[in-house]
Amino acid sequence: MDKELLLFILMVGSFMISCFALKLPSGMGMVIAAVVGALAGGFGVPVKQLVEGSMSMLDTVLVIAAAMVFMKCIQNSGALDDINSAIIRKFHRFPALLLLCLMVVVMFPGMITGSSTAAIISAGVLVCPILIEMGIPKAKAGAFIALGGMFGATAPPVNMAVMAIGSGIDIPYSGFELPLILLSFPLAFVTAIFLGYRDAKKSDLAAMAQKYEVARQNEEHPRSLWISLIPLIVMVVLMVLPNIFPQQVPSVGMTVIFLISAIVSLFTGKRRVNVLQTTREAIDSSLPVMGILMGVGAFIEVMTLTGLKGYVVVSCLSLPDTLLYVAILVTIPLFGAISSLGSASLLGVPFVLALISSDQIIVTAAIASLASIGELVPPTALAGIFGAEVAGVDRYSKVLRKCLIPALLIIVVSMLFIIFANPIASILG
Amino acid sequence: MKKNQIVAIIMLVVVAAGCFISGKAFMATWEEDVIIPGPGVTEVRMLSEYFPGLEGTAGDTEIYVMEGEEEGGSVLILGGTHANEMSGHMTAVLFIENAQVEAGTVYVIPRTNHSAATHNDPQEAHPDTIHITLDSGAVREFRHGSRATNPIDQWPDPDVYVNYMGQKLSGSECRNINRCYPGKADGTLTEQMAYGVTQFIIAESIDMTIDLHEASPEYPTINTIVAHDRAMDLASFVAIDMQMEGIDISLERSPTTLRGLTHRELGDHTDTLALLMEAPNPAQGRLRGVTDEELIVTGQDDLYVRAAELGMLYVPFDENGWPLEVRCARHTTGVLTMCMEYGNLYGEPITITGMPTYDELCENGLGAYLNEPTETTTEST
Repeated sequence: MDKELLLFILMVGSFMISCFALKLPSGMGMVIAAVVGALAGGFGVPVKQLVEGSMSMLDTVLVIAAAMVFMKCIQNSGALDDINSAIIRKFHRFPALLLLCLMVVVMFPGMITGSSTAAIISAGVLVCPILIEMGIPKAKAGAFIALGGMFGATAPPVNMAVMAIGSGIDIPYSGFELPLILLSFPLAFVTAIFLGYRDAKKSDLAAMAQKYEVARQNEEHPRSLWISLIPLIVMVVLMVLPNIFPQQVPSVGMTVIFLISAIVSLFTGKRRVNVLQTTREAIDSSLPVMGILMGVGAFIEVMTLTGLKGYVVVSCLSLPDTLLYVAILVTIPLFGAISSLGSASLLGVPFVLALISSDQIIVTAAIASLASIGELVPPTALAGIFGAEVAGVDRYSKVLRKCLIPALLIIVVSMLFIIFANPIASILG
Repeated sequence: MKKNQIVAIIMLVVVAAGCFISGKAFMATWEEDVIIPGPGVTEVRMLSEYFPGLEGTAGDTEIYVMEGEEEGGSVLILGGTHANEMSGHMTAVLFIENAQVEAGTVYVIPRTNHSAATHNDPQEAHPDTIHITLDSGAVREFRHGSRATNPIDQWPDPDVYVNYMGQKLSGSECRNINRCYPGKADGTLTEQMAYGVTQFIIAESIDMTIDLHEASPEYPTINTIVAHDRAMDLASFVAIDMQMEGIDISLERSPTTLRGLTHRELGDHTDTLALLMEAPNPAQGRLRGVTDEELIVTGQDDLYVRAAELGMLYVPFDENGWPLEVRCARHTTGVLTMCMEYGNLYGEPITITGMPTYDELCENGLGAYLNEPTETTTEST
């Protein structure tokens, strides 16, 4: 048996023991597995590398913390209630159309930022209560926004996975729009109908709209919907402007965008927000996932240090040509258990090079779409975790179960794009 | 005291110890490696002399000037554009420590992205130094840095980086100087560094600019010269000359679709002939095994041997690997040949002596051509 394989078994084993036998948090399990891997690899306890790896996740962790603060602020200020009420009152007669529109709303921040987490925690927070009001069970609503975030991250104009693969093989980020649209929007619409239509059709949306109308009329000081929308408008403007005028408007980054929008929501909501308590709630609820991410960073660094990362990639590429597609199908989503973007960058680049005779743009776009599945693979499963968090589902595995069929659909379509890349490219011109 | 409080205290102590140990290690990387200029160096300037906006920042960097007695052309050698591509930096050091210029002027910037040399790329597990043993037995230490500017000098990254030429790139590329050319005076630190280099080339009317790089063996652009359209004639002669010497090298025209790179933007925005060279380094790749100093210096890796057998690579790769001295020998020969052919084609000679040949470097190693550290050189650092 190769020594790298032994090392891999040892690292995975120590992670499992830490989490299941010792009941430690997943993030800590990852760090313990990294330390065990480094020790077994003959590197002692490489403190610098462990910290360096963890800190690679700093930006993501800050975005998550700020996004959670924003989410709690607009929830606690009452802005969300106002927006939900308005949407139900306006669209209650067209549930299918409403579902499709809500899917696009969830996707939008992901399309602009390339981050599914940003989409789930910003637009997902807005859309999820509406879905629940429409009679869709919480787990399905969580799956709806989780998948919506993933489709948004796949859809153009910004796809981080494609950019990561592109920078590894020096192909410019252009010409990807149409393949990415085909890999995201049709699947997103099918998913929206699949997850929501049956429950939405059963529920009495008209009565709900009536209830909201009465409640609104009974308000002592009715407020314009636009006031409640201000934090969201600020957020969208701050996200979109740097993309439209990149040389004139610098991007302040997602963390600052979420914090500015959260501060704005303190002044536009109908309820007073206790900032300290809200911030504490937000950080409390996001700590586990932040811990996982930091642990993942350390884990990947030790995988690189010990040569395990290269071993995984070379082993995948060693498979005979006929099994290469199987390797892509299995390893890219599976490696997403550690990091979906890391999976695209680490495995996507050699796979695209291995399929050099196929159209590079179609293959890259499809691999990026396939890598998005990693957002649903535990232990990181960021989309699943945040979908459950926003929907108020106690265990994210319930959300993951609801994501299963749409996820299979994504895999099938992505693989078809990879296998038939050249005919698809010639059709798309 | 409750059990969870005890656990919390233990965790705090562990984290504090981790911060202290790693903090010291990170701060040690801020110290520059020692370059001991040879007799050919006539002057050392700073990039901030050409763009004052860089003065006092982590982006300011030394320009070593070697002026010949006779008139001739001028060449700029860029090392350390990517501070993790060691043969770029080390070839620049070899020129500073050995070259004697008889005709023309040679400018060398060994740390083009100075900030990138002060940290490592997260998740890449690279060592922060490499060591070369001299013939005398003394050991010289060189900094192994990162592909990008240190985030403590430029942070945070945007989600998407749209460079000066309007090309969309992943956010972290905003710290990659080789995506930021021709640079911006009021831009980010990395764009300012690129701007400084561009201004320097314009101010000194540099005839030829050579940017030295390394790439992973599975990367198609490797063992190659990438030339701007105006430099294609020169590069063709160089490629033929090197092939005739038995050095396998190819030639690529700088693509017009990839923006922000030296071979495209310096050629488009200045009068210089812009060229770039790539040498293979397994430490750059995704297929590599154990990542340590030995990998970078010896360039040997069993997993890459396997990958070569699978036909996954764009360069041959056997158990001998691609040692640092071979990578430097390729770059050194490339630069010397470019200087020679520039003189032949344009009638303005750039004559350099004192540099080891390809065979000498491969045979004797880098240690034979690095200057002996003295107390003065060590203290001056």
